[in-house]
Amino acid sequence: MPLTNEEIDEIRKILGREPTVEELAMFEAQWSEHCSYKSSRILLKLLPTDGKHVLVGPGKDAPAVKIFRDYAIVFKIESHNHPSAVDPYDGAATGVGGIVRDILSLGAKPIALLDMLYMGDPRDPHANWLIRGIVKGISDYGNRIGIPTVAGDTWFDSSFNTQPLVNVACVGVANIDDLVLGAPKPGDLIIIAGNATGRDGILGSSFASKPLSEDRDKDIGAVQVGDPLTEKLLIDALQFLVSKKLVRYIKDLGGGGLTTAISETAADHGLGAVVHLEKLHTREKLSPLELLVSESQERMLIVVDPSNSRTVEEILKRFDLQYSIIGYFTDDGIIRVYFNGNKVAEVPAKELARPRPIRRASTPPQDALKGLKPIFVLPPEPKYEEAILKLLASPNIASKRWIYQQYDHEVGIRTVVKPGYGDAAVLRLLDGSRRGVAVKGDANPRYTSLDPFNGAANSVGECFRNLVAVGSKPIAIVDELNAGNPEKPEQFWYFEMMLKGVAWMAEELRLPVVGGKVSFYNEDHMGRQVKPTTTIVGVGRVDDISKAMTVEFKEHGSAIAIIGVTYPELGGSEYLYRLFGIEEGEIPRPRPVSEIRNARLIQKAIRLGLVNAVHDIGVGGLIASLAEMAIMGRLGFSIDVANIYARGVQRIDELLFSETQARYVVEVRGDRVDEFTKLARSMNVRFSIIGRVVDSNRIVITSNSKTVVEIDLDRVADVYNNSLEVELEGEA
Amino acid sequence: MSTHLIEVIITNKKGVRDPEGETIHKHLILRRGYSMVSRVRTGKYLLLEVNAENAEEAVKIVKELCEKLRIYNPVVHDIELRVHA
Repeated sequence: MPLTNEEIDEIRKILGREPTVEELAMFEAQWSEHCSYKSSRILLKLLPTDGKHVLVGPGKDAPAVKIFRDYAIVFKIESHNHPSAVDPYDGAATGVGGIVRDILSLGAKPIALLDMLYMGDPRDPHANWLIRGIVKGISDYGNRIGIPTVAGDTWFDSSFNTQPLVNVACVGVANIDDLVLGAPKPGDLIIIAGNATGRDGILGSSFASKPLSEDRDKDIGAVQVGDPLTEKLLIDALQFLVSKKLVRYIKDLGGGGLTTAISETAADHGLGAVVHLEKLHTREKLSPLELLVSESQERMLIVVDPSNSRTVEEILKRFDLQYSIIGYFTDDGIIRVYFNGNKVAEVPAKELARPRPIRRASTPPQDALKGLKPIFVLPPEPKYEEAILKLLASPNIASKRWIYQQYDHEVGIRTVVKPGYGDAAVLRLLDGSRRGVAVKGDANPRYTSLDPFNGAANSVGECFRNLVAVGSKPIAIVDELNAGNPEKPEQFWYFEMMLKGVAWMAEELRLPVVGGKVSFYNEDHMGRQVKPTTTIVGVGRVDDISKAMTVEFKEHGSAIAIIGVTYPELGGSEYLYRLFGIEEGEIPRPRPVSEIRNARLIQKAIRLGLVNAVHDIGVGGLIASLAEMAIMGRLGFSIDVANIYARGVQRIDELLFSETQARYVVEVRGDRVDEFTKLARSMNVRFSIIGRVVDSNRIVITSNSKTVVEIDLDRVADVYNNSLEVELEGEA
Repeated sequence: MSTHLIEVIITNKKGVRDPEGETIHKHLILRRGYSMVSRVRTGKYLLLEVNAENAEEAVKIVKELCEKLRIYNPVVHDIELRVHA
């Protein structure tokens, strides 16, 4: 997005003269939405960011939370939506590279990747090509740098056919004492290590800050190709430097390139800098302007005390990593840039790094009424067998095997609970103890497009439940708000409401939002925004990984219980959409108080060993959760829906498919049912025992003893396991 | 109708990096002393046997299928089509 006339006037005022072309390029890169958060900064202040676990909040490349007395988790989310729309393979791959470098900046060891992908209809040829490229790009890059992709979230919707949302997150661990939390000092050297700078992604951030142009060939300058080998060298070299306490500060060169890395580092610490551009190692001959804003990947800024520079250089050489010492920090707050002795830019760091925030106009569009409409008349009740199979065949519910089998999810032997088996991934800390960490990412684009406030709150709730279901204690979250064009009030409104929904729910659940990212301009060529989407990634503490809970049924004869009240909440459900094409209505309410109360019961029941399996209820409702538990455990079940604790429900489909929040299905051990019942009562939690796990291959659902449906588990499993592959690859 | 052999060579565009080629160049070729080699680019090669009236038509068919089936990404890649001698 080129600078506006008002912005150019403001730059003249800041400098007191006409800017040079280099200065203009620096301002254009840094004042882009992507780098400066100018449209979102005022609203982002609503998020709760503090808490007793928070070591580093928002503002740095990545936040850090204290997960155990001696261990920190560094985690962050990032979007690579626009690059992935143009070049899905490299766009998604470089997204992984970027988020890993953010984790490195605090000195942590990256241990896991998550990918949250919101993509088009698999049967649309263009969307299908994007899906394949994105999944392959993530898997190739992640596998090559040796970091497992352990969890994620996927959604398919035709609004993402040309503009997918590619959100990736990385989780790192560090000893609290080893975190790099220092500040650069005047005189400290600026080292750029990693790839040689080329003409890649010139003004790429400014490219991400505008809608995709019709003629995609014009966007060629913004295409970047990932280089996992160099990334791996960076990971290893930085960890070594950090372990020797040789670096003062580290920052990724991401969007905005050198300009952003230097101006933000300087501005954050009240410093200035002197930079000699000709010293930067390059791949080709570049102009000073290009050197300043190139977004070549796999580069990092390392700040080193001059007395350590020789040792650092030796180590970088030993790791076969290219580097250059391009300048030093000063105490005067001015960034001075030279090229072959000529001064090409002289700008105050603070004014460059932080443009004036803008409070954008925000108006609900007519379309927003869809989310307010109660579902007062339902389509005729379906045949339940057919309905259940159709629902499980939905790419939004069916097994994501096709995706996660391409990922190496076991490199590093940390993974305790693997993709598909638990509501969240559980990873070992690998310090010889039984301690671990749970991670999960969640979103529901349909909810947030119908009701952005409650939909975003539900993403927080879902993430919270997923972390609880594996037996962890949720510690903190990061958020990624994927929105439309902030200059259009009717699109900005969705962003504002999503943000307020996250802020409200996170505060109610006492989950600090320690970091995040905003992605605007997610619209197609026609200027229609894709479904606005709030992605939440959370981390939880696992005290004993041997007690980590999975979803599959374990033994026949055990009891099946639902925790929480079921309401007739079918608005925005997968059921109404998949069976009747209805995409409207009041979405399920966020229920923070019930979430906390019910989570406490789950945590306690797991600790006491009363339960064999726990699964949260989400998309697809009760039946989707039950089917997954049965399929993964290869055990049938029998339930009577009349036993479900529900309110205001009139039909069986409301019981089976409602997506009411704050609910879990649990498999209670056959010999501990009384204890479980007593515990739930004493904790004042609504629950109902609805049936049992059986020693046969049948799924039997009755209502007041009258059969509603009876299906072979094998049939259900076949549909669940293979539907996504059929959608993507076509019928065999 | 006759059979034509059509070669397809897909490489990253000139301005787009090729980390694989760079790695082969730097970590293998230069390291073993072949300093006269100044650049390496990698790519993908396909050989298609096509039944068509003539070679031009075969090339046309292959070009179309490469585009339609997204065998290459026009934003990132150059494509070269040749009639195999």
